[in-house]
Amino acid sequence: MNKFIGVALAAAVQMTSSLAYADVNQLSDVRVRQAIAYAIDMDTIVETLFEGKAIAADSMIPNGAWKAPGLNKYTYNPDKARELLKAANWDSSQTLDVVFYYGDQLTADLMVAMQAYLGDVGVKMTYRKLEGDVGGQLNAKPDAGSDTSAIKWDIAYGAKAALALQEYYNGYQMGTSSYTPGNKELDGLIERINGTVDVAKQKTAFADFEKYENENLSDIPLYYQQLFVYESKRMSRNGGQYGNDQFNYDWNIVNWTVEPDAKGKKVLYTNTAPSQFFEHPWLNPGVFIASKAGFDHLLTADGSLVPTGGQLAKSFSVSDDGMSLTFELKDGLKWHDGEALTAADVAWSIETALKVPAINAVFAKTFDSIEGATAFKDGSASSVSGIKIDGNNISLSFAKLDPNMLLTFSQFPPLPKHLLGDVNPLEFQQHSFWQKPIGSGPFKIEEVQMNDFVRYTPFADYHGGVAKVDELVSFPSGQGDANVLKNAAAGRLDFGFTKSVGDVKALEAMENMKVVAADIPYTRSLRINKFANNAK
Amino acid sequence: MLTFIIRRLLIVVPMLFVISFLVYLGLELTPGDAVSHMIDPEVASRISAEQLSEMREALGLNKSFLERYYIWIVNVLQGDFGHSLAGGVPISDIVFDRLPATLELSFIAIVFSTIFGCLLGVFSALKKGSLTDNSLSVVGMLGISIPEFFFGLVALLIFALNLQWLPIGGRLLPGYETIWDRLPHMVLPGFVLALMMTAGVMRYSRSAMLDSLSRDFIKTARAKGLPEWRINFIHGFRVALTPVIVLIGFRLPTLIGGSVIIEQVFQWPGIGNEFIAAVRGQDYPLVMMIALFSVFAVLMASLIIDVLTALVDPRVRLD
Repeated sequence: MNKFIGVALAAAVQMTSSLAYADVNQLSDVRVRQAIAYAIDMDTIVETLFEGKAIAADSMIPNGAWKAPGLNKYTYNPDKARELLKAANWDSSQTLDVVFYYGDQLTADLMVAMQAYLGDVGVKMTYRKLEGDVGGQLNAKPDAGSDTSAIKWDIAYGAKAALALQEYYNGYQMGTSSYTPGNKELDGLIERINGTVDVAKQKTAFADFEKYENENLSDIPLYYQQLFVYESKRMSRNGGQYGNDQFNYDWNIVNWTVEPDAKGKKVLYTNTAPSQFFEHPWLNPGVFIASKAGFDHLLTADGSLVPTGGQLAKSFSVSDDGMSLTFELKDGLKWHDGEALTAADVAWSIETALKVPAINAVFAKTFDSIEGATAFKDGSASSVSGIKIDGNNISLSFAKLDPNMLLTFSQFPPLPKHLLGDVNPLEFQQHSFWQKPIGSGPFKIEEVQMNDFVRYTPFADYHGGVAKVDELVSFPSGQGDANVLKNAAAGRLDFGFTKSVGDVKALEAMENMKVVAADIPYTRSLRINKFANNAK
Repeated sequence: MLTFIIRRLLIVVPMLFVISFLVYLGLELTPGDAVSHMIDPEVASRISAEQLSEMREALGLNKSFLERYYIWIVNVLQGDFGHSLAGGVPISDIVFDRLPATLELSFIAIVFSTIFGCLLGVFSALKKGSLTDNSLSVVGMLGISIPEFFFGLVALLIFALNLQWLPIGGRLLPGYETIWDRLPHMVLPGFVLALMMTAGVMRYSRSAMLDSLSRDFIKTARAKGLPEWRINFIHGFRVALTPVIVLIGFRLPTLIGGSVIIEQVFQWPGIGNEFIAAVRGQDYPLVMMIALFSVFAVLMASLIIDVLTALVDPRVRLD
């Protein structure tokens, strides 16, 4: 009888202990997160799985001028990982639920490798691909003030592709993240990286943030993905620079040349043609050729996306306190349909963008910072009070400082008010304009065969001179798509970009193609659910 | 026969209703909706729940399942097939824009595979046990066994990349105006699709012909002193044709949505590719119309098969 009572008591204690572990999230202990970072040998993974086409990461911020010195690289050290787990009293009976949303084989292979590395230090994990409402499952936020997460996963593998470096960290603000509860210290650091346009002060603020994150690991950075720009040997950029082709920079496409074909025609071939509609350029401003070659911006930038001067703007000026910005448009600007491109188009574009839900985060932050933006969005004002136009001049007054306002205007293309003035912002992408958009860039769309090809011709009234090639033809293939390789091998692809390791290896092996690697702010990481209690 | 056709056509209407409801239900049970597919997960992290709800409202996705189905079916009955949720394009424009491309391939494949499949099958049956018969059987088995995509890629490698006789893919290029401009683009996908189908028709024709040639009426025909070609082709092949018609008839509708793999391998802008994209994006108005179109084609093919069978085989009575 006594033996029976003893067994029953032991079982009860074990059950209570398991239940306690089920509620308490051990990942909220920084030692566990550090142990996971030490347990994964990213250098080996980069060399093997990624065939050297990635760079092991020690911070969300990519290598370069903005990287803080002396960060802990969490070099592979399974003994250190075990030690940290022991100190954190890690419950080895639990299994971490790791989620991802990519459908490629490389991700599946990475999950297998991670499972082996974590298993080696006594951390069990399973992995699954999120299906259906992926955004909802990744981003479900807990009620204000709650320390119980609303997400159902422990770790999410994902990417952060930043146009502005602040994007890496702004999401940690208290009450805005699904996996980082946030605190006053983090909020203070966020305030500092956003609160100045002074580059030196920004660098100091970023360095402090990087050190904090390097210690606390809201995300465990895994690797920096590179961008690979490829082009055929029959074309030449004639000195034009290479850069971050996912966005817009001064790539000098009007001076590109290509060898004439058998009929003597100089045709450049590329990809990213649409299958059903042209994606609007306010979300991914430079991914699609129609956005890049078809639309101009107020400012231009260099290959690393640092704004360098005017494009549609003849001149621009920023006030000393960074709270107002003025542009003067060039004279005689035209849309591809011959209508004049005016300051009213720019003002209308900014106001409309404020009400379109899915636009680029950097644009949204800039426009939200303009005086009167909130009143316009909530309908209490019919226009944004901070936008003033006077002839060719547009001046913007800001209610709060936005360090990336110039970056925004080097990527945000104004759209023609005379063609889109009737659009419902909630159905912006569904407007018939996106079947054959009218832009302001060096190439205009001449012919659209949906899901087959799009033919562009040089815009004769382009303010920057007429392009030297006769035509630009795009096909609907994209990165990671076997058709990229087939078209390249058949001489039907002259330029493009990819992040797919498989594409790069195959393109490098083709005699008619050359590949140039570009470092871009694109970091793959493990997002760790750090709420004290989990919702599972 | 007219009564039969009218009766069958009347049955099609309730069947379309039931199938449309089932397809709609299937889409409803799939996790997520069009908005969750339209917005990248990273972008979704900074869009408020209210904004997402407004987008759903604007696209009519906030209504209940039955309400949405009712609105959709009423609109369809009034000739309004709706718009694609992703791009706002009228569904009728998408279907009528993409369907000709798919039908081009289907037509080539059906004609080619029917003529050559029947001829080779009959020839093989007449030469039963010979080297020709055995060789054709092996070729037929290979044709049935090799996956379309593999055969397509090999054909591309040889004829487009190595020999450079034919284009790598696509249906049109700038400046194409006549059928002669487009013909080279049709050759590879049409040929690959047709060859894969020919193998099946050939095997089926051979079996049917062998079965037909062993019947008593063939002996009777020979006893009447008819010439051998007449016995084989007028008496034997006519009876053997019945099961072959069924096979070919049921391939007609599957070719509308069934050449997805060929369309992907050859970058062919057909309805199959569009259907896959619509299902992935939960663009239900587009999925519904393409699915209904395929179902309608199946039901019509079934009707045509019955009528043709009755015409070919006098023993079959439709009434």
